[in-house]
Amino acid sequence: MSRRTARGLATAYFVVMLLVVTWPGALPFARVRPLILGLPFSLAWVSAWILGSIAVLWGVDRVERRHREDD
Amino acid sequence: MERWVVVTAIIGIYLLATLLIGLRAGRRSSHSVQGYVAGDRSFGLLVMYFVTGASVFSAFAFLGGPGWAYSRGAAVFYILAYGVIGMAPFYWIGPRVAALGRRFGYVTQAQLIVGRFPSRNLSLLIAVVSLVACVPYITVQMRGAGLVIETVTEGHIPLWAGALLAYGIVVWYVLSSGVMAVGWTNTFQGIFMVVIAWTLGLYLPIRLYGGIGAMFEEIATARPDFLVPPGLTGGGEPWSWGAYSSLILVSVVGLMMWPHLFMKAFAAKDDDTLRRTVILFPTFQLFLVPVFLIGFAGVLFTATPLQDPDSILPFMIMETQLPALVVGLFCAGALSASMSTGDALLHAAASVVVEDGIRPFRTLTDQQERLLMRGLVFLTGAAAYVAALDPDSSLVLLLASAYGLISQFFPPVVAALYWRRATTAGVLSGLVAGTATAVLFWLNPGWKPLEIHEGILGLMVHIPVLVAVSLATRAQDPAAVDAFMEAA
Repeated sequence: MSRRTARGLATAYFVVMLLVVTWPGALPFARVRPLILGLPFSLAWVSAWILGSIAVLWGVDRVERRHREDD
Repeated sequence: MERWVVVTAIIGIYLLATLLIGLRAGRRSSHSVQGYVAGDRSFGLLVMYFVTGASVFSAFAFLGGPGWAYSRGAAVFYILAYGVIGMAPFYWIGPRVAALGRRFGYVTQAQLIVGRFPSRNLSLLIAVVSLVACVPYITVQMRGAGLVIETVTEGHIPLWAGALLAYGIVVWYVLSSGVMAVGWTNTFQGIFMVVIAWTLGLYLPIRLYGGIGAMFEEIATARPDFLVPPGLTGGGEPWSWGAYSSLILVSVVGLMMWPHLFMKAFAAKDDDTLRRTVILFPTFQLFLVPVFLIGFAGVLFTATPLQDPDSILPFMIMETQLPALVVGLFCAGALSASMSTGDALLHAAASVVVEDGIRPFRTLTDQQERLLMRGLVFLTGAAAYVAALDPDSSLVLLLASAYGLISQFFPPVVAALYWRRATTAGVLSGLVAGTATAVLFWLNPGWKPLEIHEGILGLMVHIPVLVAVSLATRAQDPAAVDAFMEAA
């Protein structure tokens, strides 16, 4: 994957994350049930995006690192 | 032995340990401004991880988080939502900032901005805005520390004495060791906060309700709307999506613009350390989940609502008959949250005032500068302490808008790093217009459309002004811009 694509995907992830935790993107997920691992749905929703961000940042770092070594 | 004596003894041991770590840390750095402010650019991954996490999460997260969960329900989720999004751009911005720091010797945010847009007035303005935003923040940390100590010692150590004790120690180690003390004490405090939060956050719902799911089922049945974003206002009315969303947005923009966080880019050992800190930050962020659980555990537990929701955490600790040892450890965790942010802020505020508010106007030797910074650490601490003793202090009210001010640093930083056509006049007029707009709407909350945060309204004026004035004025000398950009 090129550095450009990786950066684009990571940026897209965080932009989408911002959109689905604020109005109006958050509206469909603003509910209590079903409880996920005991947590209200909207709390689990935000937590899942945080967990996902670790994978995204780790992934982008792998690509960036490879390109830095090539430079 | 009486309960409060055991608790006090544990707090004493914790404070002593913190002090020793803070004082020892100073031996590692050189006796120079670079050493005092940026730790000779030597912070490794362990220290960076905890210094970032523990500085971000303050007494507001540790006491205010449960307080919001308890009194405002789903409104508290906003605190969880912004951190990671605010931190992520630093994966790319951080190393650029660090490279400029190494190349030109910058140790503060304003030096970086003024390095690209030379203006002493700009430097002074940034110093003043930073100070105005930082002091009330420190005040709140002090009150938090005092409140916790007062509650768990059952009033034997009153708020004024608790705050004085905790922050006397903070001032002592910051005076002596500068940022090295902040780094190493935050590592100790960060570990403490995380362990305590997870332990208590999982324990209380299980002990009181039989499980986390069972707890939320009960709350959802008793108060169906309580757990649905955007939750409630402080007064118990339904909160607006405009206020909830724009608070997330302003926090995303403002988070890394806080001087005490931004300046840590200059303290990191190398670029990989900075990048890994960003990658690992979400793991720290998740500690807010158990912190919220502690507050939610209180919702059906208190027969009548507490006067001060922020005291729900100490209240739960005292009422659930936990062993004195656990109470003491919890207290140390809460103090850690307060002190780890307070020390970083105190250090950053003093550094910024000297480096950006005084040095551009007066020639100082390295030794005079360090002396002046120490004097200011003491003065800032004293001013914040006086305000902390007065619960109705207008300084505390000012905190509500600290993010509105701090977020105005975002456009100048981005313009400095990424926009060649930006000019000094554009950046200066944008900052003045944005800050003035934010202050205007903060003073007149009724004027805000859709209850949008004043910081966002400020940015809506700031960015167009920055762009328009830059384009209307003569472009900067290309050679100077190139010299700056190539270093980044």
